[in-house]
Amino acid sequence: MSNVNVLSTPPDIRPGRTVARWRGLPELWHFASEYLLLLPFGAAVGFIWANRAPESYFRTAFALDFFVTEVAMVLVFGLATKEVVEATARGGVLHPWRRVALPIVAALGAALVPAFLLRTLAPVFGEPLVAQGWAATFAIDLAFGYFLAMVIFHRHPVVPFFLLIALSSNALGFAALAPAATPEQLQPAILLVLMAAAIGAALLFRLRGTRSFWPYVLIAGGLSWAALTLGGVHPALALVPIVPFMPRAARDPGFMVDAPITEHDTLNEFERWCRHPAQVALLLFGLVTGGVMVRALDHGTLALPVAVLVGKPLGLFAGILLARALGLHLPFHVGWRELVVVGFLATIGFTMALFFATVSVGPGAVLSELKMGALLTVTGGLLAMTAARLLQVGRFAPPAGKRT
Amino acid sequence: MNYPPLNMAGQRYYTYVRQQLRFFVLDTNILDAAQLGWFESALQQSPEPWKIAYFHHPLCGNAGRHGSAVDMRVLLEPLLVRYGVAVVFTGHDHVYERLKPQKGVHYFVTGSGGKLRKGDLVRSETTAAGFDQEQAFMIVEIDGDSLFFQTISRSGATVDSGTIPRPLRHQGTL
Repeated sequence: MSNVNVLSTPPDIRPGRTVARWRGLPELWHFASEYLLLLPFGAAVGFIWANRAPESYFRTAFALDFFVTEVAMVLVFGLATKEVVEATARGGVLHPWRRVALPIVAALGAALVPAFLLRTLAPVFGEPLVAQGWAATFAIDLAFGYFLAMVIFHRHPVVPFFLLIALSSNALGFAALAPAATPEQLQPAILLVLMAAAIGAALLFRLRGTRSFWPYVLIAGGLSWAALTLGGVHPALALVPIVPFMPRAARDPGFMVDAPITEHDTLNEFERWCRHPAQVALLLFGLVTGGVMVRALDHGTLALPVAVLVGKPLGLFAGILLARALGLHLPFHVGWRELVVVGFLATIGFTMALFFATVSVGPGAVLSELKMGALLTVTGGLLAMTAARLLQVGRFAPPAGKRT
Repeated sequence: MNYPPLNMAGQRYYTYVRQQLRFFVLDTNILDAAQLGWFESALQQSPEPWKIAYFHHPLCGNAGRHGSAVDMRVLLEPLLVRYGVAVVFTGHDHVYERLKPQKGVHYFVTGSGGKLRKGDLVRSETTAAGFDQEQAFMIVEIDGDSLFFQTISRSGATVDSGTIPRPLRHQGTL
């Protein structure tokens, strides 16, 4: 049994999502939504705006910041939690626990090694304060990384493997951000009391068989949001402890795959209602975080991308070696070549790194350097494509038996 | 850092008084919400007729290498204007530049006392005076309702000078 790969059946993912087409929405919006492109598009708009008309950009970004990052993004992380909950439940593509354990251990390595490197490199690059943004090294841009992973690997089992690494690493980043709050900001008593009330409310709705998702989102989610905000922790994760209590369908149709239109369970109804607002949230999130002036390029700018581009692949491999030593298994058909490409995909911090940097460091010169460094991590995508081509994996794989 | 002549007392941002003048010193590396709140509170409580702020990164500037930190200007300028800060001294760009008053606030970029980035100044309609050919330093004196400044180059030439009146709301209120 020790050699049996627990991911013996490639997970069911399709080249794009089957989205229930709303009449009247342009095809371009649907395409961008399916491939999560609104986030990088918003960041691109923000970047151009900040460099062409910086005063108007920053006034707009600061005005929208609270609504976008502390309210709207709650939906995005709630939907991501929905995918994980379904996938890890019985019958899901990431069940049982050994399917998820290896990516989580790998994510730990992929997060800690670049964080250590950044703290080491920041003084070397002449800007020691950049090290305060170390949480940004945990970030993996789920949207852009997923898009590139699909471009390279299509239906390969390595795609959900990468997604779980990204989710785990980002979750670790959020956990890392909480202690970064100053002692004056953290209010553990308020946090615990209100969060207990939130979870209690969600549990009560579940036990009473509440089918509508609105009580879960508005009441339990509202309490959770208040717990995090008043407790001194970033509230974007407010729905993460609530979503698991929503009643769900017995079987997950696949990772990042829509359920059939006939499924009316609470969790899928939540997704159908929130899908397009979440896309708007992603667009605005990219807009308010992506605005970095090119003049922000300074000594410390390169510390973050160098730490990530070197540290993440190394850390990922270190994490995988540790996981293998613990008796965990890689997914079927995922070998070292695929892992090299995944390692480079994981270096794309991009908008998530922008977010983590913004939360961990206030406005100022250090944040500008970190944000420019976060944008530069997009080069990990080029490295991933180059590595895939050289290693002949995914779309670059030759016909069977003809690898050179 | 806790070197007494720097008045820092180990703080990243702080304020101190010299006779009728209150200095506000900010850390523009990380302009977090706590610092902004402190700054506004300190400005509100300051009865001194002269208020001068200094920090590293220029809110207004026309040097080619860095220029204006617009994101910080959006955050700080409303406070500077609202509470009558007369003058802001900054560095970061290794040139000398005096800006035309922006919403009543006089900005100076005085980053060429040590390192010089020769030829880096790109004058614009907001530039009142500039010098980027030699290192330079400033002498500033306050007498009653007037601030006198003189910028002297390494070779001893006066490259800029002038007088700045006390903001109107504080004139004659010693």
